[in-house]
Amino acid sequence: MDLLNIDYDKYTLGNGLDVILHKNDSLPIVAVNIWYKAGSSNEKKGKTGIAHLFEHMMFQGSLNVAKEQHFKFIQEAGGTLNGSTSFDRTNYYEKVPSNFLELILWLESDRMGYLLPALTQEKLNNQKDVVTNERLERYDNQPYGLAWEKLINAVYPEGHPYNWPTIGFINDIASFTLDDVRSFFNTYYAPANASLCITGRFDKQQTKDHIENYFGSIPGGKSVQLKVKDPGPLEKDILITHKENVQLERLYLAWRTDKGFGPDDAALDILADILSGSKNARLYKNLVYDKEIAQDVTAYQYSGKYAGHFMIIVTAKPGHSLDIIKSEIFKELELICNQGVSSRELLRSKNGIKSGFIYSMQNLDILADQLNFYSFALNNPNSFNADLERYELVSDDDIKKSVSTYLQKCYTELRILPNEKQAI
Amino acid sequence: MINRAIKPVPSDDITFHLPAFEKFDLENGLKVFFVKRSQLPILRFNLILNAGTRFDPEGKKGMVNLFSMMLDEGAGDYNALELNDEFDILGSNFDINTNNDNIFISLRTLKENKERSLELFSDVVKKPHFDDNAYAREQRKILTRILQLKDDSEEIANIVFENQLFGKSNPYSYPIIGLEQDIKSVAVNDLKDFYKNYFTPRNAAMVVVGDSEKEEIKYLLNKYFKDWNEGGTPAEQKVLNHHNEGNIYLVHKEGAVQTEIRLGHISSERNSPDYFSKMLLNTVLGGQFTSRINLNLRENKGYTYGAFSRFNYYKDAAYFYVSTSVNAENTGNALREIIKELKGVKDGITAGELEFAQSSLIRKFPSNFETNRHIAANISTMIIHSLPDDYFDTYLDNIKQVTISDVNKSAIDTIHPEDALIVVAGDRKTIYNQLGEFGRNIIETDNPVA
Repeated sequence: MDLLNIDYDKYTLGNGLDVILHKNDSLPIVAVNIWYKAGSSNEKKGKTGIAHLFEHMMFQGSLNVAKEQHFKFIQEAGGTLNGSTSFDRTNYYEKVPSNFLELILWLESDRMGYLLPALTQEKLNNQKDVVTNERLERYDNQPYGLAWEKLINAVYPEGHPYNWPTIGFINDIASFTLDDVRSFFNTYYAPANASLCITGRFDKQQTKDHIENYFGSIPGGKSVQLKVKDPGPLEKDILITHKENVQLERLYLAWRTDKGFGPDDAALDILADILSGSKNARLYKNLVYDKEIAQDVTAYQYSGKYAGHFMIIVTAKPGHSLDIIKSEIFKELELICNQGVSSRELLRSKNGIKSGFIYSMQNLDILADQLNFYSFALNNPNSFNADLERYELVSDDDIKKSVSTYLQKCYTELRILPNEKQAI
Repeated sequence: MINRAIKPVPSDDITFHLPAFEKFDLENGLKVFFVKRSQLPILRFNLILNAGTRFDPEGKKGMVNLFSMMLDEGAGDYNALELNDEFDILGSNFDINTNNDNIFISLRTLKENKERSLELFSDVVKKPHFDDNAYAREQRKILTRILQLKDDSEEIANIVFENQLFGKSNPYSYPIIGLEQDIKSVAVNDLKDFYKNYFTPRNAAMVVVGDSEKEEIKYLLNKYFKDWNEGGTPAEQKVLNHHNEGNIYLVHKEGAVQTEIRLGHISSERNSPDYFSKMLLNTVLGGQFTSRINLNLRENKGYTYGAFSRFNYYKDAAYFYVSTSVNAENTGNALREIIKELKGVKDGITAGELEFAQSSLIRKFPSNFETNRHIAANISTMIIHSLPDDYFDTYLDNIKQVTISDVNKSAIDTIHPEDALIVVAGDRKTIYNQLGEFGRNIIETDNPVA
């Protein structure tokens, strides 16, 4: 599809920084997006959460930018900004009026090259408190909020870098020192381990000059490659029960599957949609709509760089048993494995995915992040069509195979149950 | 060679052309706003009905939300599953959302599927089934959802806050989802009556943004929406405001490690002449990351992951509030700092702060029009609050014209920490003793809606 064929420049600076430029003049806005190839998978047990805490430190000012000024300069320019950390990478992004592009290049290059001179114990203590609050608010104090870390801890074996949550454990967060922060920066935050993408309205030659001027002199460092063993299939089922202050029982089932862009990854995505993506989806229709034994159901394929898993999550209606829900899930999977899915079900999912690609082209910042993602995963930013084609090619047999290969194997099961005594 | 110590200055000023909208009425009275945008072959349709939950009758709180959930549970020739399948096969996204003031029905479609999508959309609008079995199922779903709300301190704090702020007789006092006992007494016939009286073209507006022409949109909307429910414009009901006495409401949540805090009070409405002055005031005080409240509570004290303040505007009411979630041990500390910031802003802001806030809002303006969704949302705001057609044309001037004395007057007129309502949802054991220093009545409540 022509629409998804993106016009871009990609080149590498002398110090190893990848640059991706995509011009789109429709609005006087520009989006900047940087990926560092470092995430929580680069951490060690006992030191979890440093990649994410480090992301916070990147907003605390650098050699030429005082504390709070990073945010202030961008908000004064009418811009928006944030960052995020996952298993595989950390990204930083801004969207500003086109005439402030140079400001962003200055800010990003200053913290890429010159963060450490501005690092202080006071800033670190403050952000450790902030991150601790983030963890408490978003995980510990949320209903079912600890499910993710309990699951991945079982789905990925000891020693696998997806075995712990990106936010980190409370005691680990508390333990970090300035040396930990410095060492993380020195290892991972270097041009050779990063990729800069700009989308929107800008002058191409002038922007290339600015990029060279601001980033070109930063010492290159190294691109860091992690060696990760494929975890292989689980050898026996793992059952976990956790009680907390919730009203309804919830069941989580997780299987080890394919990694991102692996041969079965797209089929697993479509399978997830066929199971839970709409009112007609198999599990939704069966459990929520027809039998009314569940309040909600979600299925998805998590696709990381080094591994992936498939998850089904169901909340039981009051008075209904997780055992019955679980047996219904396995019956549906068996049915798909034996009889496949209809051509209508396949087409429904594929059409939704295709139009989703087109709708997503409206946002410059989403586009910039996606170009960096494709460049990271496939070494080609212009991969929208290739990505879409993976989904177009998925057949009924592929869906059946994805069930038999992965979901009829050992699994991790987590049940979250209400505490006996209820308080509001 | 660049000098890193010097912050780069912006290059030449940008030029931005506000997307223009065209306006016309269908014969049945439906107002239509169209913005042509052809970068991508897609369209968005937003139908806004002046029929939100403030029209829930006494004793039937939750009826309007249930009504909106039932609209696409079967319509025209399709049952609920068939209808959903028809939209999905087109790759179209069809959504219904409800808030206090409005029901929003939205469609996102590829250009090539616009007519078929619109035909299905019109079935939902003109011919919903309100089937008895589907109704019983949706009713049970919503009752379970109400049960689940007890898990969520954030939701509890929001519900208690609005309930206490507006008081019993005010329709804005009740959660959109409704009340358990009331929902049990809502019958299908209530929904059918509501449809007849409120769900009419004269009580609605359609916003269309995307790759098409005005004449084509007019033709399509006439073709599919012409024979929609006649009916007139239902009577408006003016709501009563409520004065709070500055109590603290404590909602106990066993074992909570964080406390959800809401603090605020009623404020002047959307059509108030100092609207822009209040907007700038809040940008300084708590509207963005670099505002006073967040920099103090997060970046200075480390009490929270984030804290903000906002003027929240409903069609017939408005309030100011501060919202944050803090670790339980810092509940009292955070409240003290919030009150200090509210008192502080009444002492006046600096010229630099005003300039910063103006710069931020003015320069951000073009990015408010990035996507079809943004544009449709902006026009929806104009419709809901009856803003003039040139609202966005004059927006930048309105911001520029605000002076420091305007903002300082707004702070004095509209920020009232002394009699602000405070709601805290957290673990009583940890937080009760932290609340004494504020010298207010502490009222413990288990029931989110009194």
